[in-house]
Amino acid sequence: MLRTFSYRKPATIKAAIAAAARPGARILAGGTDLLGCLRDGVFAADTVVSISGLKELRGISARPGGGLRIGALTTLSEVASDGQVLKSYPALAQAAAAAASPQLRNQGTLGGNICQRPRCWYYRGDFHCLRKGGGTCFAVAGESEHHCIFGGAPCFIVHPSDTAPALLALDASVSITGPRGTRTIPLGSFFVLPEQSATAENVLAPGEVVTQILLGPPQAGARSTYRKVRERGAFDFALAGAAIVVAMADGKVTAARVVLSGVAPVPWRVPEVEKLLTGRPLDAATVTQAAEAAVKGAFPLSKNEFKIPLVRGILEETLTALA
Amino acid sequence: MAETTPKPWGETTVVGRPLPRVDGYERVSGTAVYSLDLLLPDMLHAATLRCPHPHARVKKVDLAKALKMPGVRAVLSNADPEANIPWYAGPGGKPVSRLFDPQCRYEGEEVAVVAAESPQQAWDAVRAIQVEYETLPFVTNMEDALKPGAPAVQEGGNQGAKPSIYERGDLAKGFAEADVVLEETYRTSCEIHTTMEVHGSVAQWEGDRLTVWDTTQGPFAVQSALASVLNMPLNKVRVIMNYMGGGFGAKLGLSKYTVMAALLARKTARPVKLFLTREETFLCTGNRPAHIMTLRAGVKKDGTLTALQLTATGEVGAYPGGVSLGSQLRELYRCPNVRSEETSALINAGQNRPMRAPGFPQCSWALEQMLDALAGKIGMDPIELRIRNFTAVNQAQKDIPYTSAALRECLTEGAKAFGWKEARARAKGSGPWVRGVGVAGGMWGSAGGPPSTVVVSLYSDGSALLNMGAADIGTGTKTVMAMVVSEELGVPLDRIRIECSDTGTTQYSGPSGGSKTVPSDSPAVRAAALDVKAKLLEMAAAQLKAPAGSLTLKGGEIHVEGGSQKVAIRDLTVLRQQQALVGVGTRAPNPAGYVARPFAAHFAEVEVNRRTGEVRVLRLLAAQDSGRVMNLLTYRNQVIGGLTMGIGFALTEKRIMDAPSGKMANANWHDYKIPTAKDVPADLACVPVDIRDHQWNITSTKGIGEPATIPTAAAIANAFYNATGVRIRSAPITPGSVVGLLSRGKAGG
Repeated sequence: MLRTFSYRKPATIKAAIAAAARPGARILAGGTDLLGCLRDGVFAADTVVSISGLKELRGISARPGGGLRIGALTTLSEVASDGQVLKSYPALAQAAAAAASPQLRNQGTLGGNICQRPRCWYYRGDFHCLRKGGGTCFAVAGESEHHCIFGGAPCFIVHPSDTAPALLALDASVSITGPRGTRTIPLGSFFVLPEQSATAENVLAPGEVVTQILLGPPQAGARSTYRKVRERGAFDFALAGAAIVVAMADGKVTAARVVLSGVAPVPWRVPEVEKLLTGRPLDAATVTQAAEAAVKGAFPLSKNEFKIPLVRGILEETLTALA
Repeated sequence: MAETTPKPWGETTVVGRPLPRVDGYERVSGTAVYSLDLLLPDMLHAATLRCPHPHARVKKVDLAKALKMPGVRAVLSNADPEANIPWYAGPGGKPVSRLFDPQCRYEGEEVAVVAAESPQQAWDAVRAIQVEYETLPFVTNMEDALKPGAPAVQEGGNQGAKPSIYERGDLAKGFAEADVVLEETYRTSCEIHTTMEVHGSVAQWEGDRLTVWDTTQGPFAVQSALASVLNMPLNKVRVIMNYMGGGFGAKLGLSKYTVMAALLARKTARPVKLFLTREETFLCTGNRPAHIMTLRAGVKKDGTLTALQLTATGEVGAYPGGVSLGSQLRELYRCPNVRSEETSALINAGQNRPMRAPGFPQCSWALEQMLDALAGKIGMDPIELRIRNFTAVNQAQKDIPYTSAALRECLTEGAKAFGWKEARARAKGSGPWVRGVGVAGGMWGSAGGPPSTVVVSLYSDGSALLNMGAADIGTGTKTVMAMVVSEELGVPLDRIRIECSDTGTTQYSGPSGGSKTVPSDSPAVRAAALDVKAKLLEMAAAQLKAPAGSLTLKGGEIHVEGGSQKVAIRDLTVLRQQQALVGVGTRAPNPAGYVARPFAAHFAEVEVNRRTGEVRVLRLLAAQDSGRVMNLLTYRNQVIGGLTMGIGFALTEKRIMDAPSGKMANANWHDYKIPTAKDVPADLACVPVDIRDHQWNITSTKGIGEPATIPTAAAIANAFYNATGVRIRSAPITPGSVVGLLSRGKAGG
């Protein structure tokens, strides 16, 4: 049962930021995650500030000089079916299509998808865990099958987004507007590990809003893909996944970006794999070595060791398919 | 009433056709008022405070703050004498708990309940109740529960009941005769019913009479239990269920929420609605218990089964309850030497309840995978092995014969429709995705019987009223029963009004469960319609001055055989005077010396990704022997639903108890994974083996709801083995449980 809150729907970004900066305020975009959190008492809100009236935050447009600007309020369905995204950034289209369920993709936004809170059942459930300001990560001694194998301590969530790994692999940037103005940062600087903050998944300060996602011009010879493995066909988060962008020339990889989903508290870039792939053809030997390199340094908990062979299998499949 | 046993139907004109639901429009348009939708004038809303710990003693409940909150009209807790009601039967039937017991033995056990003007106010008050708990040691899995020194769930220890032992023949001799003996341990997970409509009741008092609108499969069962608990006569307790969104066994009897709603309504002199949240239903409205089953089996080279030995433990929950695996091990295949020993373990979790064929899918998971393995060892086709061991008699009941037993036809007709031979011979594939096919046989343990009494009234304008106690829990009962009336009286379906599942206005029938509603109640409906028909023909005979034996009823008219004389129903003078002609039908006893069972064979084709452990069900086929098909559309609905639940059992569904806290980790519809449309193949085939069981009852029916889900999961598991060569003995088969095994090329057996 939802507790009482006041609701505001500002007409300008300035008013939205002023309202969102007040203590106890929460930003509402598509609402698919916020309402669940409020209903389940994961956190509370005194004021819900809807940004759905800000038309400038919607839509996909070409950037001067190439690339795309995607407004933060663009729905996942729109991203998944956009002609330019499908043609030049297939990993993003695939990731948006792999998220949630058709109804949720029609309602959920790209900005919301990269800012969503973790799905850890301790965080969402009746447990005062680290991420809620408590002293314990219950996954360590508990049911850890859906938790991370990289970048854990002290909190072992996985980042729930499918689109964020794809965007990171595509070297996207985000624009953030807040009480102190607007900044645009690479997506790689947007997410934070638990060692930096166990209560936030990104750098957003109170009152700050993601307004747009920027993609650069597609690299020549680039191919990209997003592969997600989950326990059921829809309405499920990744057990593990991979977003891969490779640029090829003369049968060899000239540049690669490889980002894993479902295995770390942030979209998990694996530079070792990128380095290994660069300059080599995507042959069987390279693929096997890359898959092995991807799981180097994995630190499984008691119930998620399966993610190691799973990541290996996903990389074998996706790299083989990109060859 | 019709005096002689009516002849079975030959050709039918209505029965058997694929007709849409008579209440379909009401259900999809939103005009159907489910109990959950009910809004009565002055109605209060209730919410329940539940123990957040797996095991705790309630030391103090402080209601002061809650009682002062706006809108709060009443609170009940263990301090209230009227709530001092015994609950949960222990060994020997003695109650071991109370409505609000200070000893809470699982997360979700009831501590207090609040009635307020709005649901929001009720929940705010629940949060304001301060409870002091003394937390106690707990255990949440059966293996730990049965270890010496485990925390005791009940005073008598964690063994739920004395082991149930069945034996026949000479086991040692049977194993000695076998050419191949295999022993394997199989596990299944705890599943939750997750009915679309959550559980709850609305209660209203008028003087000393109580009316309850309940979400129940068994209004009469709820009526009698509620009357007993409240110490009231049956005639003062009325239970109504107009529409329901699924039960699957979780809504068979009286639940605490119904009693709490009734007590709050009495205390406040206002109607009270108490419905559970989705999350609450995961904790405390029953589950399919997890099982560990060790099965040893012997077979000769020619496929003759020589011995079956099962040792099994079921995870019963915090209070004793039935966790029997059912009768397939003892009855399905011919085997002279059989022993089963079943025990149960109490754990600190909600009590199990029957769930769509209680015990049978679990036993099937073990037995049918074992048969598959035996067939592999002796190099025999798994269908052939099952046919070799077919029996037409019930071995657990002194070899009395079945009235019909079409397991062989299910296997052979199913195999033909599935293209078994071709699919089995097809290459499995050498890439990451490999394919395989599997089969499993199955049976269900009952086929209905008395009692059931039905009243059919034919009005003077030729329309009719069907009045029956049976509940339509979403399965199409109303439609099927109206078709029986239409078949006999020729009244079109849209001219038949149906009154059902109301203890105040309809006659007694058992709960709609056990796949027994059609074979129990449709014969009573037919008998009532025949009673009307006989009286109608007598009435017409008097008016037409012709012998009743020479009359036939057709299209709303009574004709004299071989002549031109006729009279329309609406022109019958006596009927016009008395307005209605009432017929009564009862369910006759089942035939002595026989037993009936529905049978099934399911076929699965799956695709497995050796790199990622993903399993895709490509197609399923269900060949069912449930006696006569009453309505091909509702029949197919049942089969598709059964196959879908079987996919959940095999691949996705699993209650996860957090070991350190003893709390359920996935008590919601996101983390507890029922299959979605993406997990269910478009290619679901239903092959009715339409053998009419004329000997069993006068509609020749045996029941379809449960047999349609029993062998599905085992067929999928066998297909998985066929694809990969790896045997997964624990359900569900998830990517996480297989990815390591397949990528390293480990082989199972």
